Amino acid sequence: MASEELFYATIRDVGARLRRRAISPVELTRAHLERIERLDPKLHAFVTVTADRALADAKGAEAALGRGDISSPLLGIPIGYKDIYATRGILTTGGSALLADWIPDEDSTCVTRLQRAGAVMLGKLITHEFAFGIQFPGHRYPPARNPWDLERMPGGSSSGSGAALAAGMAFVTLGSDTGGSIRGPASFCGIAGLKPTYGRCSRTGVLTLSWTLDHTGPMARTVEDCAYLLQALAGYDATDPASSREPVPDYVAPLGRGVRGLRVGVVREYFFEGIDPEVEKAFEQALATLRQLGASVEDVQIASIQSSGAFMAILLAEAFAYHERDLRERPELFGELLRERMLAGALITGSEYVQAQRLRARLQSDMGAALKRVDVLATPTSPKPAPTFATVYDPEYGFPRSNTGPFNMTGLPALAVPCGFTASGLPISIQITGRPFDETTVLRVGHTYEQATDWHKRHPAL
Amino acid sequence: MTLEELRNRMKAARVEIAENRLEVVRRLLTDALRPIQAMDSRAHRPLEPAVTFDAVRSRGDRGQ
Repeated sequence: MASEELFYATIRDVGARLRRRAISPVELTRAHLERIERLDPKLHAFVTVTADRALADAKGAEAALGRGDISSPLLGIPIGYKDIYATRGILTTGGSALLADWIPDEDSTCVTRLQRAGAVMLGKLITHEFAFGIQFPGHRYPPARNPWDLERMPGGSSSGSGAALAAGMAFVTLGSDTGGSIRGPASFCGIAGLKPTYGRCSRTGVLTLSWTLDHTGPMARTVEDCAYLLQALAGYDATDPASSREPVPDYVAPLGRGVRGLRVGVVREYFFEGIDPEVEKAFEQALATLRQLGASVEDVQIASIQSSGAFMAILLAEAFAYHERDLRERPELFGELLRERMLAGALITGSEYVQAQRLRARLQSDMGAALKRVDVLATPTSPKPAPTFATVYDPEYGFPRSNTGPFNMTGLPALAVPCGFTASGLPISIQITGRPFDETTVLRVGHTYEQATDWHKRHPAL
Repeated sequence: MTLEELRNRMKAARVEIAENRLEVVRRLLTDALRPIQAMDSRAHRPLEPAVTFDAVRSRGDRGQ
């Protein structure tokens, strides 16, 4: 069996080993497949393990290395895809009984780009049902478990993507984020996750939850690894109507420029309501670290921040619109929780939906104004650490307050980075948000903070 | 939102939700609609959710 350290290496480290032939892509892939076989029965991160495909990809990477082709940093890197990304010839369920047998004819654009970059497809990762409904007991697809505490949720909806990374079962993964589904699992699992600017990464071939809020993006154990993934993912896609032609900069090279002189704005209103004291303490300590690193930190106000909750009205209405036919004709194929959430979308009036979009425009304007005064915004990613399954299965449990949803409303790039642990050993995370298409600064702040701390070097005992 | 209003909306939308889950849905919708019900629509800039055209994008592919 390979050493534990191998499974928590970075793309830069393992890439160097691959290029100097200290390990081969096939050896790396076999080690991951063995680890998945050993650990996943208790973590449930994977819906489908594509062992044959992974070995074929790895052999292809090995041949490319043999030819001296070292142009892509993702060559030979094991990856897992959230099971809402279409994969040609490979089961893609969306965590739903409706798609239990769906084998797509095409890859999603993101999968195409990463596979072209030489990534090795390990398999498909469990998602909340249609990226929105927590699986109750008895669900066709059991929920992933948090590697830090198996009785707790790894977050959602990119639950398998977060759990697989924390457990060292994949080097990088893809998630999707409509209200925080990349950043929430990143927060609960002690990893990094980036929701890029709306339009930065294609959604073609990714199951829709809410057209105007859906984002695709990278998840990894380090910010630099997120940057490597974003580099391969970003760019115009004519098949996604929201895709942007904004030029794609170099995301990796500027990471080491530090934060000296950058202005960090802290939004106190809204994001600290109901916050866990341990989360607040870790967040304040993270701000102190950023100050020590040379950033200036100041409080900023966003006048309409309390209107952020309207994002749920948009999400519910759009989700119902997308799934209405199936909800009316085959309701029994939806999980109980998802069905009731989506049906709630039918109860939002046309006027309310439009007013929610108007509130969104104001929030975008106010956040844009704040980001003229500072370079990035900082907030806790989640006001509380990961909840237990028992908590979320309680019939009275409601949809939690979201510190991530406001940035789906505004489409701004937002990164979750580990910033501490609770006394009971649960990860805590800071969220860094930037101007439209300024992922470079967001990643730079996250990377600089991460490299000054060792939270990302801690791994769960499995 | 009261439970009675929730039931009225369900009737209008022709959807059924289990009786024992109505309170959870009522809370979900109340939270989602609170900012909307608090807003004074007259104080907001007009927003026209209509098609717009981008001269660059509409050459060769879709106008959006």
